[in-house]
Amino acid sequence: MSNLFVRKATGLVRSWSVFDAFIYALFSINLITLGLYSFSQMYYFGGGLVPALIISAIFIFFEVIVYAALIAVMPRSGGDYVWQSRILGGGIGFVLAVTGWWFILWLWVPLYGDMLRHIVLVPLLGVAGAKEAALWFAGSGTPLFVSSIITLALVSLYISLGMRTYARIQKVCFYGGMLGLLIVVGLLLAGSPAAFQSALETNAVALFGAQPGVYEATAALGTNAGASLPFSGGSLGLIFLTLPYLVFFNLWPNWGATLYGEVRGATDFKRNISGMGWALGVTTLLAIVLMFAIRKTIGWDFYVQAGAAWWNYAWGLTSDAPALPIWPYPALFAAFLSTSRVLQFIVLFLMGLWWFGWSGTVFLSSTRVIFAAAFDRLLPEKVAEVDSRTGTPVYALLLMLVPSIIVSYLFAYDVGGFKSLTLCSTLVIAVTYLGTTVAAIILPFRKPDLYKASPIAKYTVFGIPLITVAGIIFGGFLVFLLYQWILDPNALYGIGYSINPNGYKNGTSILYMLANYILAAAIYLGFRSYRKRKGINVDKIHAEIPVE
Amino acid sequence: MTTLFFATDIHGSDICWSKFLNAGKFYEADILILGGDMTGKAIVPVVHQGGQNYRVNLLEQVFDVQGSDELEDMLKRIRSRGYYPYLTTPDEIAELEQAPDKIHALFLDEVLKTFQRWMELADRKLDGTDLRVYVCPGNDDMFAVDDLVRATRRVILSEGQVIPLDDYHEMISSGWSNPTPWHTYREEGEEQLRVRYEAMVKQLKAPQRAIFNIHVPPYKSNLDEAPELDSNLRPKYAGQSLVPVGSTALRQVIEQTQPLLGLHGHIHEGRGASRLGKTLCLNPGSMYEQGVLLGALVKLERGKLQNYVLTTG
Repeated sequence: MSNLFVRKATGLVRSWSVFDAFIYALFSINLITLGLYSFSQMYYFGGGLVPALIISAIFIFFEVIVYAALIAVMPRSGGDYVWQSRILGGGIGFVLAVTGWWFILWLWVPLYGDMLRHIVLVPLLGVAGAKEAALWFAGSGTPLFVSSIITLALVSLYISLGMRTYARIQKVCFYGGMLGLLIVVGLLLAGSPAAFQSALETNAVALFGAQPGVYEATAALGTNAGASLPFSGGSLGLIFLTLPYLVFFNLWPNWGATLYGEVRGATDFKRNISGMGWALGVTTLLAIVLMFAIRKTIGWDFYVQAGAAWWNYAWGLTSDAPALPIWPYPALFAAFLSTSRVLQFIVLFLMGLWWFGWSGTVFLSSTRVIFAAAFDRLLPEKVAEVDSRTGTPVYALLLMLVPSIIVSYLFAYDVGGFKSLTLCSTLVIAVTYLGTTVAAIILPFRKPDLYKASPIAKYTVFGIPLITVAGIIFGGFLVFLLYQWILDPNALYGIGYSINPNGYKNGTSILYMLANYILAAAIYLGFRSYRKRKGINVDKIHAEIPVE
Repeated sequence: MTTLFFATDIHGSDICWSKFLNAGKFYEADILILGGDMTGKAIVPVVHQGGQNYRVNLLEQVFDVQGSDELEDMLKRIRSRGYYPYLTTPDEIAELEQAPDKIHALFLDEVLKTFQRWMELADRKLDGTDLRVYVCPGNDDMFAVDDLVRATRRVILSEGQVIPLDDYHEMISSGWSNPTPWHTYREEGEEQLRVRYEAMVKQLKAPQRAIFNIHVPPYKSNLDEAPELDSNLRPKYAGQSLVPVGSTALRQVIEQTQPLLGLHGHIHEGRGASRLGKTLCLNPGSMYEQGVLLGALVKLERGKLQNYVLTTG
């Protein structure tokens, strides 16, 4: 539209920077936290990591299209909750939104805490000479619980600081983290396997009290644990079976989507696709480059074996403690290649920024959903209150903090096998995404006027709306993931009720996830009934007013 | 009990105006209040290409329209998003590009034509009902629309007025806002705003039972969080950074007076509810471009706020 025919009016802003959108999406699919954490757990898979990264990125690009399209059709709506409520109905929207954007985030807290200690606390304490503290934090039980509590304290601080400050923190973390990654890759590419073995031996013994011969011992433990993840190769079937684990890392580019601003047209649709798409592409490329650098100097087999040795013991599958008494963090391995403790500390500090720039988002979506539900009167008004002095949503924060502390306790001390629930964190959000994807698929047919008047109406594939085509492809991918997770026919993921005779039937996982959905449904039905008695028909909240 | 439905910032959307008029029956409300910014932000030229052919550039999509049915459909689509369709020719477009001053007159003409049509629709739809409808133009609305409201039979202009809603509740209204980066029609400094609000508050019989229908939200109420902009009006940090932009004067007056209810708009992203002391402040937000009427349904009973909910109609 020509600017000639647009008058000055409130809210008419220019397009946001694609580069900024790219930064926030890049942090959402965080290579250093989510990526390295999940790669190390995937030691027993048979599909090559590099082809799996590429294939998963291709499927997830369709997720990018789905979300960019929905934002273009219904911007400023707040996301999944309103899209689903508007297209699928208020009850479905509420249950899927609160489970995927609120309840399951309780489980993410101990995972964030686990990454905090492995990526930030243990390496920095070790390099700083605090060996005992480092080794304590690397242990199981209380250290993980304490790390989760530190995570909660930091996240609460971010929320009280507000998004304006946190957006600035994230930007600093982006530049610092990228510099750190550049140095890590540089160190790895400049190093050699012999230099690494020697550096590992020297530093692991000196900083973390490992026994001499740590390299060989780790390799042997990893081999016994079944380390097999190839760098590349593997049949297409095996590669596809790797994807349900890999998406723990990269299913989230939409978390960085920009929901704000007055969408002017297709340009903004393309901007969101660019921001999220570039983040997905660049992160995938960075992952491949980092894996290549790891293979060159650390050695692929050793990298996988070290992960196997660590997780096999951490998951309680063996009583053989890992020879390297800390999580095998590739950035720490790279830092070992320098003899300067100062440089080691700087590199690890910069790499730690990847965690700090990402961790604040854990409750961001949750507080938004809690507020939206309260405004719809499906939660008490109190939960949307903000303390006038600190600007903190105290009650919403408590609804995150208290359950998170309980879940962190269960996870840290592995009560009832809770430690096996890692992938549930992804499954429940994938169900929410599936709801949104179904809404996207049927949008052009359920809300034709809304769709036709949107900037994406011109995008079709063989006459079929692009949003529908992208939704079918991404929805099919999600159904594949859910089938693998829940029925686990190859006994690979351990969070469902495996139909494989040798597979794991994880009652804790199934009960936990069901409890989430039952709680959400109970809140919805309970408040709907309560509000009806008070004269408010909740069913009408999302119903469309007749136009004629 | 009195039930009121409040919506705001519909910015020229035909669909939203029709939904607003139908909201009384749909939500069983007694009173409808529109909080301001009723006029659209853009004209979309529908360029005659000869015969029954037209070309339209809507949201960066070029549409070739043929025949009267397609043309009618396109005009409806443009209006549904809050834009004003303008039938024109390539020659006139070229002329307008040479004389941008004429655009302002064109805009005013299109706004007033649409507004007149809206008021006529309101009179038709509301005849035979007991619904009371109040509108209060906002900072984006030119002053000429006030006269069109005054001329209607069924829609009441509430700017600057103290209006009794029932035996217990009075309402004051203003569409003026604190300064914005866009320098719109009804903006003034905080001190002048305070004087404006206090002049109305003085006339209230029971300020604690009053309703403040004030377009701009109070400062730092969480209803006034808008994307932080740079000097080129570009959202900083990809819109992730939000800053409060509400009125400090309004906040002071609300904190001093403690009315029952504040009804606000202005910040489309600021949908929510917030308490300032005893006062419940609501901003239903706006999704006018999608033809979605966001609103607030409030039930009042004998000086008390019985219940409320934000709606997505």
